[in-house]
Amino acid sequence: MSTQDQAPYVASCPECDVDLQTDAPNEIIEFHRRHYRVTGHEAEFEYAQLDLDEDVTSDGLKDVVWQLQEQYENGVPIGVVAAVMSDRGLSIGETLDEIHEVRMTGGLYEPQDDHLGAF
Amino acid sequence: MTQWDDSQAKAVSEDITEKSNALPARYFTDDDVFEMEKDKVFGQYWVYAGHANCIKESGQYFTRTIGDRQLIVVRGHDGEVKAFDNVCAHRGSKMVEDTPMTDPGDAKRIKCPYHLWTYDLDGELKSTPKSFEEAGLNPDLEDEDVQKFDAEENALNDVHVDTIGPLIFVNLSEDPMPLAEQAGVMKDRLEALPLGEYEHATRIVSEVECNWKVFASNYSECDHCQANHQDWIKGISLNESELEVNDYHWVLHYTHAEDVEDEMRIHDEHEAQFHYFWPNFTVNMYGTADGYGTYIIDPIDTNRFQLIADYYFRDSELSEEEREFVRTSRQLQEEDFELVERQWEGLRTGALAQAQLGPNEHTVHRFHQLAQEAYDS
Repeated sequence: MSTQDQAPYVASCPECDVDLQTDAPNEIIEFHRRHYRVTGHEAEFEYAQLDLDEDVTSDGLKDVVWQLQEQYENGVPIGVVAAVMSDRGLSIGETLDEIHEVRMTGGLYEPQDDHLGAF
Repeated sequence: MTQWDDSQAKAVSEDITEKSNALPARYFTDDDVFEMEKDKVFGQYWVYAGHANCIKESGQYFTRTIGDRQLIVVRGHDGEVKAFDNVCAHRGSKMVEDTPMTDPGDAKRIKCPYHLWTYDLDGELKSTPKSFEEAGLNPDLEDEDVQKFDAEENALNDVHVDTIGPLIFVNLSEDPMPLAEQAGVMKDRLEALPLGEYEHATRIVSEVECNWKVFASNYSECDHCQANHQDWIKGISLNESELEVNDYHWVLHYTHAEDVEDEMRIHDEHEAQFHYFWPNFTVNMYGTADGYGTYIIDPIDTNRFQLIADYYFRDSELSEEEREFVRTSRQLQEEDFELVERQWEGLRTGALAQAQLGPNEHTVHRFHQLAQEAYDS
């Protein structure tokens, strides 16, 4: 919980009175995982102020990562990917599931934990 | 006297008369201490795992993460609750997915998805796939020379489990003190109440930006209530209230200014009772509700914890009155979050090396003593 002004990334659980405001997009993913572990509920983005060099024009997950990875040195934070996919109608949980599926096909990899690169 | 310098900080004072040293601030702010607590606090004492009513049927289970360990807490075929590390005896794979108490899983057996080693609900290895019985790919070994895995020797790693009424506790140490010893009179008091007749109704989980011990300390005293819980304090006679200290738990007895109807509470006393059980569990017997609540104050890291608040009522469906009660409880939590986050902002500046405690903070003093004892052990 925090009383700070609007942070760049805000997520909350629709079923609980709990939210997370943070500067770090991957904190949203950790929050989602922790909250799911103790409640089974999925937290969702309420707000994401993406600070990207250029707009993401792609729709598909792999293409989004492909386009974003030029802006990051060692992989795109998974929280940024989830925020972009949230704009396209996917929940955080759905994005994490899809990341897993595409990784299993070899289309995505993790150059570091919770950061994605695309082939 | 207040210590502003680390070199002047002392251990927690033995009593709270002349000296009233709090736990030195570095024990709240140092990341090394958080790592030490996994072993010396959460690895040594009985820690609340969850509620037996959520796993009433054989095979029902939930997971609970304590420090770096994740446990499977499961109701066995014999009706007893058991707990195992969520780790396969074969090559150490995590087995079941994270499963909250509020949405328990159901399994006849526990199967590791990696090589399909399968355990019964007592944790014993019951079956392995054919690839562990035949050595067709190994030219140096005949099928008949393949070892047979002993079911008991290759069982899951079980941890100690005990209960107070429907409340399930686990202990990660090899040779723990009995739960009855750690709980003392709290065990008798809670077991005298029909806690098992009440059902889990709702869970609220919050993430709070402060060390878990800051919130635990705040929960344990009410000197801050007059200034900070102004709605709640209206119904309480603080002067007639009492803070009782025991070895590993303390009880905050709050007397209501005006008597409330007996049928509005689970317990008979004309008071509310808030039990704090070292290290991170509370049982909240409210004076104005026929139900009870629990808090788990679970550390995430040095700077954050989760408050897992569960509420139990006669029926798992909340009535309007109960929903309003939970809302009021939530208001108290929010007020406390403001306080502890502000305290944390101050503490983490490093300006104060050691706080001092007031005479009505003897419950906090006990909490700090227990922490000091654990660290020094």
